[in-house]
Amino acid sequence: MTQEIKTVPFTYEALSQLEMKEGILELQIGPAHAGSGHMRILAWVEGDTVVKVDPDVGFVHRGVEKLSEDRLYIKAIPMVERPSLVDTVNANLGYVIALERLLGLEPPPRAQYIRVITAEISRIMSHLYGIAIYGIFMGSSTVFMWAVADREPFIDLLQELTGARITYSHIIPGGVRWDLPKGFADKVEVALRYLENRMKDYEKVWINNPVVVARSAGVGKLGAEDAIRLGVVGPNLRASGVKYDVRKNDPYAAYADFDFEVPTFKEGDSYSRLLIRVEEIKQSMSIIRQALKRLPEGKVIYEDYYKRMSPLMKEIYDKTGRVKFTLMLTSLSPPKGEAISRVEGGRGEMFYYLVSDGGKNPYRFRLVTPSFRNLPYFTHVMPGHKLADIPVIYGSIDYFPPEADR
Amino acid sequence: MSNQKTSRKSAFGEVKGHIDALATGFKYFVDPHRMTLDYPAEAMELPKNYRGFFRLVDEKCIGCSLCEIVCPSNAIVMMQLPATQPPTPQADAQAPARPVPRVKKRPLVDWGMCIFCYFCVDVCPTEAFERSNIHDLSYFEESEYRPTFDRFLKLPESPSQNSKKVVAKLDEKNGIKYEEGGKE
Amino acid sequence: MMSFLYFIPNSWLPLLESAFYALIFPGFIAILLLAFFIIWFERKAAARVQMRYGPLWVSKRTGGIIQLLADMIRFSFQEFIVPQGADFIPFVFLPGLLLAFSVLPTVFIPIGPDYSRIFPSNYTLLLAVAFTLVIPVYLVVLGWAADNKFSFIGALREAYLLISYEVPFILAITSAFLLYGTLDLVKIVGIQESTLPGIMLNPIAAIVYVIAVIRATGRVPYDIVEADSELVFGPYTEYSSLMFGFVMGVPYIELYSYSLLFSVLFLSGWAPATGIGFLGGLILPGIVTFVKSVIVMCFLVFLRAVYPRYKLDKAVKAGWSWVFYLALIALFLSAVVSRILW
Repeated sequence: MTQEIKTVPFTYEALSQLEMKEGILELQIGPAHAGSGHMRILAWVEGDTVVKVDPDVGFVHRGVEKLSEDRLYIKAIPMVERPSLVDTVNANLGYVIALERLLGLEPPPRAQYIRVITAEISRIMSHLYGIAIYGIFMGSSTVFMWAVADREPFIDLLQELTGARITYSHIIPGGVRWDLPKGFADKVEVALRYLENRMKDYEKVWINNPVVVARSAGVGKLGAEDAIRLGVVGPNLRASGVKYDVRKNDPYAAYADFDFEVPTFKEGDSYSRLLIRVEEIKQSMSIIRQALKRLPEGKVIYEDYYKRMSPLMKEIYDKTGRVKFTLMLTSLSPPKGEAISRVEGGRGEMFYYLVSDGGKNPYRFRLVTPSFRNLPYFTHVMPGHKLADIPVIYGSIDYFPPEADR
Repeated sequence: MSNQKTSRKSAFGEVKGHIDALATGFKYFVDPHRMTLDYPAEAMELPKNYRGFFRLVDEKCIGCSLCEIVCPSNAIVMMQLPATQPPTPQADAQAPARPVPRVKKRPLVDWGMCIFCYFCVDVCPTEAFERSNIHDLSYFEESEYRPTFDRFLKLPESPSQNSKKVVAKLDEKNGIKYEEGGKE
Repeated sequence: MMSFLYFIPNSWLPLLESAFYALIFPGFIAILLLAFFIIWFERKAAARVQMRYGPLWVSKRTGGIIQLLADMIRFSFQEFIVPQGADFIPFVFLPGLLLAFSVLPTVFIPIGPDYSRIFPSNYTLLLAVAFTLVIPVYLVVLGWAADNKFSFIGALREAYLLISYEVPFILAITSAFLLYGTLDLVKIVGIQESTLPGIMLNPIAAIVYVIAVIRATGRVPYDIVEADSELVFGPYTEYSSLMFGFVMGVPYIELYSYSLLFSVLFLSGWAPATGIGFLGGLILPGIVTFVKSVIVMCFLVFLRAVYPRYKLDKAVKAGWSWVFYLALIALFLSAVVSRILW
């Protein structure tokens, strides 16, 4: 019976007929369920084995792409960072890089380095959140509380830099909005050392915990060729053995200056997906330390924009390091054309496509998020596992429903 | 890399894993590094550049409407108010005859829609918004919240203004501790 | 203090004494208050490990200890909903039956050397174990009675786990019986007083017993039946209002029965306080036994802060493989040690 169920297409009529078969139980792990997040997972189980999974995407769809067609280019910056809520800097960065390619300008080197520093801090926060969600889906609220609490020092760091806790809107076309305050490098170093100390406790309680290993080793295996064929991205792809990272393969924003490794694991199971996030946190810490050591001097905003500032705005920038918006930013009208940008977010590759027709609003804005790309794990990897493996696989791929639904 | 080192363990390794986990849990049980803030008895002393509520400084505003244009969530509406300040007699005598404006445009922010991105504060050419780091607001009736221009000329009252102000100090070994607010 | 006893006819005294021990201490009322305490302790212990406070605001000076009372008051104002397709009589009345059967084993377990006055029997160990084995069956019926797919799956999981973990449990009890040579729990404590506590005589049986108890009461890492992220609350999903408070408290009461049996079998019961006591020589030993079982319970609920939960097929497989082998080793060890002792 499993064979013929595998060929049932993902249409409403075909799936409603599936429950009529004897021995198949349709479970609606719906939006109001402790193990589902903001989405509905329809799972058909035969006994304890899952035979088909239909992730029902779209519960928190906000229409980011369509809304941006009606707004100025710069207004889309806060809108674009809100879907991927734990990893906002990378989302912001991708959009602004696409916009800068349309406008044909390059930010100064100091701004590029600051962008890298904030992007890597955001990546650490995103991986900590991924570890937390993995823990709570397996039933341990301890590692959830620990990992979310360990984001707090980094939130405090960026709060001192930008003034907000999660949605910074820090990166604008031409550079960044605030320069690093005094003593920032020392505070970052304290936070990184704090996380290194905490990682030792994580290893004892979580990573080497025999129950965690028993629950996640060998579960949700995806080989390298299948991973490439299904198109999954991010740490999940690297945990399946494919050495692909947009920061190395297609460098953007000063990543070419830094020396870091791209870890991969060859098993491709849930345990590898947990371990790779820990390894990537270590690599991010190394990048942040290198960037802070070699931070170049200069302005953090594009030279042309600085020249057009009024004397009052220049005085504010020189005294406090805060960039005021000139009229150019509020009435950006890129020439006709299109631009693409890809950034490596915490969860995977984010893809932005902007089309301009010369007006003040974008003609078309297309955003493909890594969680949407990781959906094949539900449809192709989960069937064949037990019912209790659904939360384990779901938590290990760090799927975030608002990001997939945009 | 491979995850074999931790996923393939002998029986002795498993027992050691259990004991390690329990011992670390017990260590935290005996000495928890709590990170809870006892709000509203204590309140965080936020940095000076925290993006909190802001107010309009009426004298500096020139009514250019750039804030309304740039607000991403369309929370600012420009209101047409009567221009109450009469021109000074000397200016009138020196300047050539030109019509005196009878209305002035001033912004009004709907706090329910504002996302505190501070695009408006950063675009204002005359720095007419005075910022603060007040981050909380509470009210019993909706009429207390409804935005009016007079309310926008003053900063809102923070419900935690009388709480003990604390600052988060990060220690490498012991985590975040909340200490008495330091005025830096 | 004892003057009021002169007004009660002599024939009533044993009945009143039994009623005191069965209903007040360490009986029903004490167990209910203990359920309040242990749920508070579980939340506080988990909170301390997780760098936060746990229940605090209900009565700030006492650290939130009456949190469960506040919850119960809130539950009693909710509407008790019986789903339309649910089987009415099991759904409504089984939780009460579960509560009764989870408290019942404590009647048989002695709390002092004079307990045979209250419940005279030579087979108290057998009776206590027999009554603890009835509960999982009720759980399976409960899962079927609620008209919910998740409850149904929870009931099936309970059936699988019950079959695979009761065998090691019985083997651990049998090895304790083999070790002491008697089924009378009072005599068992006497043997432990003269030699060593049971946990040193046969530690492997103690370990197997603890694992079986963690499974039977649904403590993490074996809370597979009421797995939060897979089946919303397992067989208890559809309960609301006071019944929800009930079914939340019943596993803790079961835990008390098992821990009491553990402290009598393996931790030498009332050992330091023998024969001293007042009011029939049972209050002081009773307090000692009670405190020992509370300490065992505190350790078992602390596990929530450290472990995630196991998967069903791995747990069933473990129950038939290494836990079973450990139980056989415990049986063998008991035979060897009892040979040495006698």
